[in-house]
Amino acid sequence: MTAALEVSGLNSGYGEALVLRDVALTVEPGEIFALLGKNGMGKSTLLKTVMGFIAIRGGSVRLFGDDRTGQPPHRIARSAVAYTPQEQALFQDLSVRDNLQLGLRDRSHFDEDLARIGQAFPFLPTRLAQRAGTLSGGEQKMLLVARALMARPKLMLIDEITEGMQPSVIERLAGVLRGERDRAGTAMLLIEQNVQFALAVGDRYAVLKRGEIVDRGAVGEAGAVERITEHLSV
Amino acid sequence: MAVSPEAVSVPVGAGRAAKSDLRKLGIIVAIALVLVAVGPWVLPTYMVNSLIRAFLYAAVALTVDILWGYTGILTFGQSAFFGIGAYAVGLIFTHVGYGPGYATLAFFAAVVGAMIVAAVVGWLAFYHGASPLYGSVVTLVLPIVVSQILYSGGNFTGSSSGLSGFESFDVSIEAWFWIAGVFLILLTALAWIFVRSDAGKVLVAIRENEQRCEYVGINVSRVKILLMIVCAAVAAVAGYLFAGVQMVVAPEYAGFVFGTELLIWVALGGRGSLIGPVLGTLVLDVSTSYLSGNLPFVWKLIIGIAFVVVIVALPRGLMPLITGAFRRLLGRGKEVRAESAPTLAAATEQPFAGLQGGGAQALAVSGVRKHFGSLVVLDGIDFSAQRGELLSLVGPNGAGKTTLMRCIADGGERSGGTVRVNDHDIGRLPPYACVAFGVGRKFQNANVFETLSVAEALRIARSRLVRPSLSQHSTTLELPEVALQVIRATGLDRDLQREVRQLSHGEKQALELAMVLALEPSVLLLDEPTAGLTKSERTLIGGILVDLAQRHRLCILLVEHDLDFVREISSRVIVMHQGKIVLDGTVDDVVNSELVRTIYAGGAAQAAA
Repeated sequence: MTAALEVSGLNSGYGEALVLRDVALTVEPGEIFALLGKNGMGKSTLLKTVMGFIAIRGGSVRLFGDDRTGQPPHRIARSAVAYTPQEQALFQDLSVRDNLQLGLRDRSHFDEDLARIGQAFPFLPTRLAQRAGTLSGGEQKMLLVARALMARPKLMLIDEITEGMQPSVIERLAGVLRGERDRAGTAMLLIEQNVQFALAVGDRYAVLKRGEIVDRGAVGEAGAVERITEHLSV
Repeated sequence: MAVSPEAVSVPVGAGRAAKSDLRKLGIIVAIALVLVAVGPWVLPTYMVNSLIRAFLYAAVALTVDILWGYTGILTFGQSAFFGIGAYAVGLIFTHVGYGPGYATLAFFAAVVGAMIVAAVVGWLAFYHGASPLYGSVVTLVLPIVVSQILYSGGNFTGSSSGLSGFESFDVSIEAWFWIAGVFLILLTALAWIFVRSDAGKVLVAIRENEQRCEYVGINVSRVKILLMIVCAAVAAVAGYLFAGVQMVVAPEYAGFVFGTELLIWVALGGRGSLIGPVLGTLVLDVSTSYLSGNLPFVWKLIIGIAFVVVIVALPRGLMPLITGAFRRLLGRGKEVRAESAPTLAAATEQPFAGLQGGGAQALAVSGVRKHFGSLVVLDGIDFSAQRGELLSLVGPNGAGKTTLMRCIADGGERSGGTVRVNDHDIGRLPPYACVAFGVGRKFQNANVFETLSVAEALRIARSRLVRPSLSQHSTTLELPEVALQVIRATGLDRDLQREVRQLSHGEKQALELAMVLALEPSVLLLDEPTAGLTKSERTLIGGILVDLAQRHRLCILLVEHDLDFVREISSRVIVMHQGKIVLDGTVDDVVNSELVRTIYAGGAAQAAA
């Protein structure tokens, strides 16, 4: 089976500083992969590099078997990859509906998908005309996930999506992501500070420390939780 | 080549670095003065004449660079002030007469006239809440209006042919060259010292993030208007000298075409570099006077193409290219940040600085309403909080928590009701005035200064309490103990020189928290301050917050979704739902409430209960 995402020997960084060193990981189709680590360890940089927002210094990025190393973001996005960045990700002055529709190349299943996704985030279908910038912080995060799901991606890159969400919504979100995986076989690479959530939805995990992967395994594995807690607290 | 002390890789003390910078400036100024001194003797007369004009234009370009390159105010209007200075000379010398007294009168008329116009225009362009585009349009209208007035002034202003043939200073062309040259050199040196000073960094901070500047207590409109007035005065002096030497003034010198040319010179030279715009103006203006005669139309085309090429290929202008080549020539390699890290020190704490009394009641909110059109976001919020309270605000997404914070920190936000901070009614006052009452607000998304260093950002936050120097670049950074704790806990103290945009999301959050604490607020508004931080960092920040409330007697209002975190640190919890307060009680009241479980926490809490 070809991996949804295969990163190998990846080096990347800003200016002088090398943030990622020789990072390798694969995400299989239908798998949710949780990338954990403390602040400033390079998690977001990894997603930005895969998306083509940051130049690759070495190594390769393969999506669904094709070499995509060094391709620009729009090309990556067109190969059915949906990215939900951590900051400034919505079109603040556009309506909720426009935000949901803009990235779609085919709008024929908009209503059908909205009905399904709207079950998880009931405020969305009722506020399609509202300007996205006037939504609260947590609501904006929900719109961000909804927009990614609307694109019917084969791979989702999700950066700290639970930040600012109320507990009951986080719980629902876990159901949504696992449901989408089961229904459409979507692969997901998930960055989280909320370890509880990450372990609840993830199948496998890796811990990134100073730009290198220091631990990886299956979420259910014996001792995994202890090792993760240890890495995140030191 | 002898090894200079700087080349040896020992850490150079900050004080010495500043001194060596000044020495470098002194050497460059001395070289420039020598060049200006010998110029008239070695250059052909036509070149001397062209350079006098170019020196004066460059002085105006320098003000454009400070306004646009450093502060981010795109201005088309500096030509108008140049014109005002020139016409002060033309009008007085033509209609009143020439003499030392009249020359002095013309000088004051030029400077004071330009400053008054700048104050009015600045007020129009930068009043609180005006958009940057609006400001640019106002500066574009100014030269059009001024030149139209000059066109329609009949014999008084000379209309389109301007004024000429008036008697002027009896000064040789060599002397004019020296006057204009020395004026430009001194101006450039002063500007260089200013932009590198602590106050100069405030300009960059305004360019980067005006909102954050307001929320650290900087009256941004006032700074911009003052800067506009000073820059107008400088441009008027250049215009005054220009009219004195040329003995001719025309409406074009006040027009927007000249104003736009100034922008082109600055962009080509490299905005935000001072020396780039000066060199750009000198080279372009002198070559124009030589070449436009031979190639009248082609020359404009060449300039136009050069402008497009530079904008596309070298968005920072030609200056970085030149300095890069210069460095390679000297074998210095890559650009290094000149300043070494400042020394951290604990500041003498001055809570309630500038406030009359500590205020018996920290925060009183009554009947606060907020609606966007027909959408009601806050519907009559009433509560008060005392010093020493750590009050958590919880509620579903979209309940109005962030909106409530905004209404407390900015008097212009709410639709109805009153907010009192330390017994002061905030009325309709803008954020910087609320900061003066003791409010400190941390935003939900990290709201910082991307291109400043960590230390510079913290220093900007201190500018409310420590007036930034106009000439010095401080080598120590004094922060209150709690701000030091935050930056040490998150490791930012090792990254003081790093550019903020290179920090991770969580580090930016921590930096913003430290910046807010550096304000020494007495009412602290924190919108999810630990979002993006790990569990252990959260615990640390939680401890600091408890300490702030209990030991430093701050009143803290905290929006937070992590109920465990809330339970550990809060002294009281308010639950909001659909724009109303639905519960106000102790931690236990709220955690055990059925209501909170249904609207907010979901199954996990139910299972746990």
